[in-house]
Amino acid sequence: MGLDPADESARTPARGEPRARLAALRAQLAPPEEGRASRPILPLGLSALDAHLPGGGLALGPPHEIAPAGPADGVAALGFALTLCALHLSQVSGEALIAAAPGEPLPYGHGLLGLGLDPGRLLLLEAGGDGEVFRALEAALHARALAALIGLLRDGLPLKPGRRLQLAAEGPSPPLLLLLRPAEAGMPNGAATRWRIAAAPASRDRFGTLDRPRWRARLERCRNGRGGDWLLEWDHAAHRLHLPEPLAGDAAASGRSRA
Amino acid sequence: MAVAAEGPGGLRLLALDPAAQALGLRPGEPLGRVRARIGVPLRVYPAEPAADRDALLRLCRWACRYAPVVAPFGPAEASDGLYIDVAGASHLCGGEARLVDDLAGRLARADIPARIALADTPGGAFALARHGGADRIVVPPGGAAGALRDLPVEALRLDPGAVAGLKRLGLRRIGELDALPRGPLARRFGAALLLRLDQALARRPEPLAPLTEAAEYAAARGFLDPIGRQSDIVRTARDLMAEMAPRLERDGLGACALRLALHRVDGVVRALDLGLSRPERDPERVAALVSLRLDRLGRALDAGFGFETVALAVTVTGAMPARQTDLGAGSAGDGVGFLADALAQRLGRALLRLEPRASHLPERAGRGVLWVAGGGPGSVPRRSTGRPSALPPPSPSGGLEYSCIEAGNTASGSVAGPLSRAGEGSGPSGCGTTGTRGDGALDPENSRPSPQPSPARERGHVAFLHQDRGSTELGEQRCAQGAGHAPAIPSPWPDHLPPRPLVLFPRGEAACDVLSTVPEGPPRRFRWRAQIHRVAHAEGPERIEAEWWREPGEPRDYYRVECEAGHRLWLYRDGPHATDRPAAWYVHGLFA
Repeated sequence: MGLDPADESARTPARGEPRARLAALRAQLAPPEEGRASRPILPLGLSALDAHLPGGGLALGPPHEIAPAGPADGVAALGFALTLCALHLSQVSGEALIAAAPGEPLPYGHGLLGLGLDPGRLLLLEAGGDGEVFRALEAALHARALAALIGLLRDGLPLKPGRRLQLAAEGPSPPLLLLLRPAEAGMPNGAATRWRIAAAPASRDRFGTLDRPRWRARLERCRNGRGGDWLLEWDHAAHRLHLPEPLAGDAAASGRSRA
Repeated sequence: MAVAAEGPGGLRLLALDPAAQALGLRPGEPLGRVRARIGVPLRVYPAEPAADRDALLRLCRWACRYAPVVAPFGPAEASDGLYIDVAGASHLCGGEARLVDDLAGRLARADIPARIALADTPGGAFALARHGGADRIVVPPGGAAGALRDLPVEALRLDPGAVAGLKRLGLRRIGELDALPRGPLARRFGAALLLRLDQALARRPEPLAPLTEAAEYAAARGFLDPIGRQSDIVRTARDLMAEMAPRLERDGLGACALRLALHRVDGVVRALDLGLSRPERDPERVAALVSLRLDRLGRALDAGFGFETVALAVTVTGAMPARQTDLGAGSAGDGVGFLADALAQRLGRALLRLEPRASHLPERAGRGVLWVAGGGPGSVPRRSTGRPSALPPPSPSGGLEYSCIEAGNTASGSVAGPLSRAGEGSGPSGCGTTGTRGDGALDPENSRPSPQPSPARERGHVAFLHQDRGSTELGEQRCAQGAGHAPAIPSPWPDHLPPRPLVLFPRGEAACDVLSTVPEGPPRRFRWRAQIHRVAHAEGPERIEAEWWREPGEPRDYYRVECEAGHRLWLYRDGPHATDRPAAWYVHGLFA
């Protein structure tokens, strides 16, 4: 912008070794990948998962749909969403917003501490319906003031609000956008990924007491990626997701973890 | 036509229309005797004092167009009139006589019979309006004593006993009363008589209790051609805010709550209350909020034939120190604040945050409180609220007040509208600016009321001293979070609690058909929400006592159980185990 192009060209090749220079030149010449390469992502910290997701993590901006496997798994899905939120908030500053349709369970402050999420960084909005949730999320996306947005839907994400959210998320520094919906109502929409979460027996510590929550997470749908099925464990102290080792005696973890 | 109400000895006439008065009827007559006396059928309606009062208050709000200080009659006067303090405001209508003409004309167009008197004092204006003998009286300044001399003593707003006593003594006129020595009068009738006399003759001040206090910062704009489009209203609101902003900036204040009053051509006043999450004086932001609010109203904002006056008043101010502005975007808190305001205006919903409360009981130990910009956990925003108003707040019907003048509801007598010139204490607001002022009580949606303590929000933490393995983990977690962003304020959430569920029910949901291996122990199997749950693992108990200083209750034994399907629940047994009664089990929360 303000620089002299001659000065720029004189300085750039003089730095770094030839291989890096070549890579930089290639990057300059490469066709734009529709902005996908530059789109910010949230790496989940597990190579097994990140390899399935385009760009190596959850894309920030477009909505991600999280559904429970059954009606009883609603809290497990909420826990998984808050886990992703905690993962994101541990890396960036800012606050998260939960916009809930009436009747959807709102988190309990102290339970959030158990997931490693500071309740002070969470804002709640009790909306009057799914439509208000969408409007609130859209306003929050346009405002770009929050780091993560979670919508708790009663009916699900139809195509039109999904597309609107997608458009509102275009632009720099989008937040993480997660939408929780009931188990049924899987309609086509603009979501980037669709997860299905089921509760799984928690890990035990060395005294045999319940330790870390686990979920069976299935990536049902992933645009430009592959689906998958994992057993995930959340370490709230270190803010890390784990794939539990199929240890002897750990009946919960043995078997079905195919990554 | 007549209005009747329950009085001594049955129904009595309260108010009459001209046709009924022509029949020789008088208010106060028993209805039965009247019916027997007159030969024509009489339509009688029951009196509705509350509706009368509402109509009077609406008329008061409408009358704010003349001057900011408008007070309805108090208990000492009758219930069907109002005072307007036109001191310093009459020149806006081209003089006092023109103001009275204008007022009378508008009331006549609205089919409201009225008697208007303008005098130096409220007492004098009242006396002239009630007993002056003309519909429009304007007393020149200083002429009160002369104008009141021939009026009857009832005009002084005395109680009936004093009036009867005066008449017994042959004192019928105010002038006669005034000529007597004051000492014997005070001894005989008390100080109230002299007070009323002095108030009417401007020897002693009489403060009014205005319906709405004059806003310190207000601006209004009138239109020759009424406006009706949303963009015009928004632009006007922006201009009005821009007009007020320098004054607010000079005083280091910002608006915490605004009231936008839209005066429709046909006399209806629409008042929109806008609450802000932090002090604000940026015209663009205020305009954006007004726009969002009008978006939400949509067609409910019935513009009719257009609005002729738009008034914006700052109803609540807050300290807003000067700040160094950034070249780039504002800080993140600003964005959240604006988002909170936008959601409040657009959806009518406030942002909440979770706050712990010092309570042992899980359901009482936390709550959602309204999010306030810059308000860290536990901090209280500095807000200078308006002075309390003397009258009930406007109807909390979504912040949209409907003030209008109905024709035909004034059968309960004519509305007397005295105008007093010399308002003591409360001077008019600056020249060229008239405006209504909100009366402290704002729209419950937009201002920050204390949130309804709905059980769903009664969440939080429990201050129950259990030192176990949860503490070290939470301590580590706090450190891990502290690395992410500056931990300036220590978290108010205690970190020494045993694990708490992610979702807590407002009250425990009963679990039936509970089967335990040992009577004192956790359940092995139970039915909850029409499903059988088999417990694979249980931890506990954690005993939480009832808050006996609030209400007696049984201690609860909480267990954390994991079902075979992997769901983790928080169960409790109400009361300790006893052999003589069955144990009552409740599911109180769900873990992630």
